Amino acid sequence: MALLEVSAVNKRFGGITALHNAAFRAEAGEVHALIGENGAGKSTFIQILAGAVRPDAGTIQFKGAPFTAQNPSAAQAAGISAVFQELSLIPDLTIEQNIWFRREALTPFGTVRAGGMRRETLALFDRYGFPIARPDREVRRLTLADRQLVEIAKALARDPTVLILDEATSALAPRETEWLLALAANLASEGKLVIYISHRLQEVRHVAKRITVFRNGTTVAEHDTDAVSEDEIIAEMLGRRLERLYPERKATATRRVALRVRGLSAGQRLAHVDIDLREGEVLGVGGLQGHGQRELFQALFGIGRARGTVELWGKPLTGHGPRQRLSGGRDGIALVPEDRRGQGLLLSKSVAENLTLSVIPRFSRRGFLSGSRERALVDDMIRFLRIKARTPDQLAGTLSGGNQQKVIFGKMLLTEARVLLLYDPTRGVDVGTKGEIFVLMRELAAKGYAILFYSSDLPELVHVADRVAVMRNGSIAAVLAGDAISEEGILKAAMSASERSG
Amino acid sequence: MTPFLSRHRAIVLAYLGMLVLLFLTSFFSPGFLSVNHLRTMAVLAAFVGIVALGQTFVIIGGGIDLSVPWVLNCAAILMTLVANGQDQPLIYAVPLILAAGAAVGAINGAGIALFGVPPIIMTLAVNVILQGGILVYTGGTPPATAPALIQFLAVGRVGPVPVVALLWLTLALAASLLLSKTPFGRRLYAVGTSAVVAEFSGVPIVQTTMLAYTLSGFTAALAGMLLTGFTAQAYLGMGDPYLFTSIAAVAIGGASILGGSGHYVGTIAGAFVLTILTGLLPALRLSNGALLIVYGVVILITVSLASEAFSDLAAAIRGALRRAEPQKGET
Amino acid sequence: MTEVGWAKRSVPTRRDQPAVPRRVSRLRFAHSTFLVDRAPFLVACLMLAVLVAIYGALRDGVFTLEELNLDAAASMALLLAATGQTIVLLRGGIDLSIGGMISLGTVIAATEFGDSWTTALPWGIAIPVIGLLVGMTNGLLISLLRLQPFLVTLATWSILSGAALLILPTDGGTLPQGWMAFGNASLVGLSTSVWILLVLFLFWLWFSKTRLGVTIRATGSNEKSAFLSGVSITFVNVATYGLSGFFAALAALYLTTQTGSGSPTIGKDYILPSVAAAVIGGISLFGGRGGLAGTVIGAFILTIIGNLVFVLSVSSYWQPIVSGVILLVAVLASSLAERSARRSVT
Repeated sequence: MALLEVSAVNKRFGGITALHNAAFRAEAGEVHALIGENGAGKSTFIQILAGAVRPDAGTIQFKGAPFTAQNPSAAQAAGISAVFQELSLIPDLTIEQNIWFRREALTPFGTVRAGGMRRETLALFDRYGFPIARPDREVRRLTLADRQLVEIAKALARDPTVLILDEATSALAPRETEWLLALAANLASEGKLVIYISHRLQEVRHVAKRITVFRNGTTVAEHDTDAVSEDEIIAEMLGRRLERLYPERKATATRRVALRVRGLSAGQRLAHVDIDLREGEVLGVGGLQGHGQRELFQALFGIGRARGTVELWGKPLTGHGPRQRLSGGRDGIALVPEDRRGQGLLLSKSVAENLTLSVIPRFSRRGFLSGSRERALVDDMIRFLRIKARTPDQLAGTLSGGNQQKVIFGKMLLTEARVLLLYDPTRGVDVGTKGEIFVLMRELAAKGYAILFYSSDLPELVHVADRVAVMRNGSIAAVLAGDAISEEGILKAAMSASERSG
Repeated sequence: MTPFLSRHRAIVLAYLGMLVLLFLTSFFSPGFLSVNHLRTMAVLAAFVGIVALGQTFVIIGGGIDLSVPWVLNCAAILMTLVANGQDQPLIYAVPLILAAGAAVGAINGAGIALFGVPPIIMTLAVNVILQGGILVYTGGTPPATAPALIQFLAVGRVGPVPVVALLWLTLALAASLLLSKTPFGRRLYAVGTSAVVAEFSGVPIVQTTMLAYTLSGFTAALAGMLLTGFTAQAYLGMGDPYLFTSIAAVAIGGASILGGSGHYVGTIAGAFVLTILTGLLPALRLSNGALLIVYGVVILITVSLASEAFSDLAAAIRGALRRAEPQKGET
Repeated sequence: MTEVGWAKRSVPTRRDQPAVPRRVSRLRFAHSTFLVDRAPFLVACLMLAVLVAIYGALRDGVFTLEELNLDAAASMALLLAATGQTIVLLRGGIDLSIGGMISLGTVIAATEFGDSWTTALPWGIAIPVIGLLVGMTNGLLISLLRLQPFLVTLATWSILSGAALLILPTDGGTLPQGWMAFGNASLVGLSTSVWILLVLFLFWLWFSKTRLGVTIRATGSNEKSAFLSGVSITFVNVATYGLSGFFAALAALYLTTQTGSGSPTIGKDYILPSVAAAVIGGISLFGGRGGLAGTVIGAFILTIIGNLVFVLSVSSYWQPIVSGVILLVAVLASSLAERSARRSVT
């Protein structure tokens, strides 16, 4: 009998169907991979298993009995522990306080047994070989990778029957990734079930025994890993062949340098970046997460204090802050930020209001806003980007991820800035919109825009960028062009020689 | 419900509440709806409304202004001191004091937007510093009486309409225009909704925030001077009730205390609701204590009605009702 | 739009979002995180040391037990109120209703205590219980109605003040002699208030290490993570505000031993100072950071300022000015220190 059996699960959020007729079946003692594009429903599915979200319909059988967790604690009590992409750590508590949160051993006075907690923590680290140094550090001081490890430790501390890992390796360095894959295999051999969600197909093939593929909110296939090829999996994920996702790359780059960066450094993460972004070029930025990509984009956009020189269209770039960057008209720099909902959109305001947020002076006459001018700008942009909203007054928070991203694009395009910084623009976006975004990028490049874009998705970098600048430890390790651009090439450049072992 | 009504649900509710309250009180107090009494109420509501004007802007922008009581009081005291009962000094006194109030507001805004001091702390500290400051300056003795001109502004009439009410009306129109139809208004809503998103979108946060607080200092100072005309002199502590009432008026008027939503039109209703409630005091022979209790309960009720919990509850009830009538329109 | 319940919970802070990108550089000495983490508290200790030194220079007998007794007595009501407020601030909320609760407490005591222990004792127990229940109601309203703590406690402040006025319209009432004597007694040379201070420290030593204490702090640090970790936000709110009401009631009781009467309006003078004491002491308004030691330092700072003003024979109106300035300085120091480490969990 299967350990976990899910069938016919549906879930809607407002007007959006996240899951319909989702099914899943896994045995004890295996590592079972869950594959799918962003927006395919994997996260929602996992949230249901973890008790954070309740399904609208469907049945879930766990260990032969119906599984009806009302909240995360109930799921954990039943034996299902999840490590989400969105971490659930408390920043002001220490590592060990986080791991044993709400399950601390208590003295007769009701206080937490500090010595006992330390012992248990070290024992846990020992048992699974955790590469964590000091359990008494406050989590808010940890890097993203370390937080991920703590989150995993927290899940394992419950000795779960099922461990769900949602993109657990996205923030980890290769050595830690290897450790995690070994961990998954060990847990499986102990008789547990590990549900492994990842975009990295090589990892998946390495560790998973079975694979379930989600697409557009439903289950499309289930395979034994050995019995299926990578291309088949990708085809099932996308519902079409790989090639059609990415538009044709035409050579649109000119010799003119839009952004010349020399010696850019900021804080502790951005060490020294030299890079040239040309007019008409789509320059990809790659590398492992946490190696300065975010800081680079923020520094270029004027956020935080940076040192070094930047020339924009040949003129020195001075001044601070997004406002200065966005107010240069065609000589401006625009950013589509990492966090769509937290940095990019006013969720409780309308699509129209969001679109025009950066160009308010454009439609004000003599101190007053002109409704008709605003509407004209809004309608044009909605049409141009094919933003799917019932009316321009629809609240941005109710749009799908892809359309939300389009609104942010629209907002930046309205500023007319010709240098575009795109930070992971297709993350969490459905396949269809992804394709549209890629086409848009090429169109803009053809019009003379200079685009710098970061993606955590290797195939994207390979197929969309004209050149790829790979970052490592805060500086550019290599710039790949032409035939040198490949997933393998990027990975090699991203890792130092010592990390490349195994 | 038409889309207009549902989008402005909070404000509509506020006005409905106001009308219901008027209706109820006219039962208990027959003379309540007389022209005289309505006039008095308009004047009283104007004072609340003027202070709450600045507070509305600040709250929409995601902040709060706790310095209102002593900006008001300082303005009142300074005016009576400078004018010393004469009308002429007012020519320079009034603009100066208004500018001073605005300057205090600007300082608030600077501390909050430039130095990251939380609004509660910044405005609280400024309030307390102003209190100490003016008391040190005047030695704690109540100052002189208000000049005749100010008294006229406060209690006089132009035809049948009180001057203060006209003033309020003008300010209300200006405020509503500012909020709905100017870049400042649009930016204010953005900053109040999400300062981070506003920053990433190039909205000038410091400017916008400082302007909102400057406005609040201005209206508090204005209210202080007018109020002095109403009571014929300035006294210590005259600003204290206006902290609660200005915030309550904004909240009752449907603005979210977190910022990003609401409008001055709603605050107007809120100001009236509070004034009517105060008028209930002699009508129902309620003591001061009972009135405070009523205030508190009214606030709880109005913000609950506007809150999400209520709309979720309403949606649930609607859903249940729909399910209870399955045969409607079906063959 | 998300299903997860936390997204709709009331979070009382002005900053519900990750830090606005700032142009301020991070502090250089990020290695010694010990100092930076505790910077606001250390700054407060420094301020207190300086103030006490100045005070000691201006007046004799400052570094004596007697002075400690006096200052503890002068600070205790505020300190008790601020203890409750500290817990609420750690949760990331604010409690304005303690103003009403303190008034109500003094008023009930002044009218019901009578003149003997037999009449006073039941009420002496009932008042803190009332405070607890009222506070728990605050917590329930905040959680179930999903309202901002600022608004809810503003409303209940009004309601409690109104109740106080109904019971005792003007300052007055009497309290038994024994009660007054108790509040100003001395044991082993230490006054009642110093003993209360010691008990408070012990209480905090214990409470901050209990699961509830850790959970309250965790929920203030990141409510969403707490929810995902299975915390019942409603329970945390009820406990937090319940404790605040409880301590406000204790503050009221202590106050009556000093004033000997009830006052329906006295509470409002304690609301903002209770927040100020905590903030000066390094408690973060955003929740999750700080402890009672800081609040005690903050309360003493405010008291010493009053003493200094008196000793310098300046108008007593300088006290609020200095307090306000110190509050701003403390917050700026805290703000700078806080920016040296990221707060959100990504």
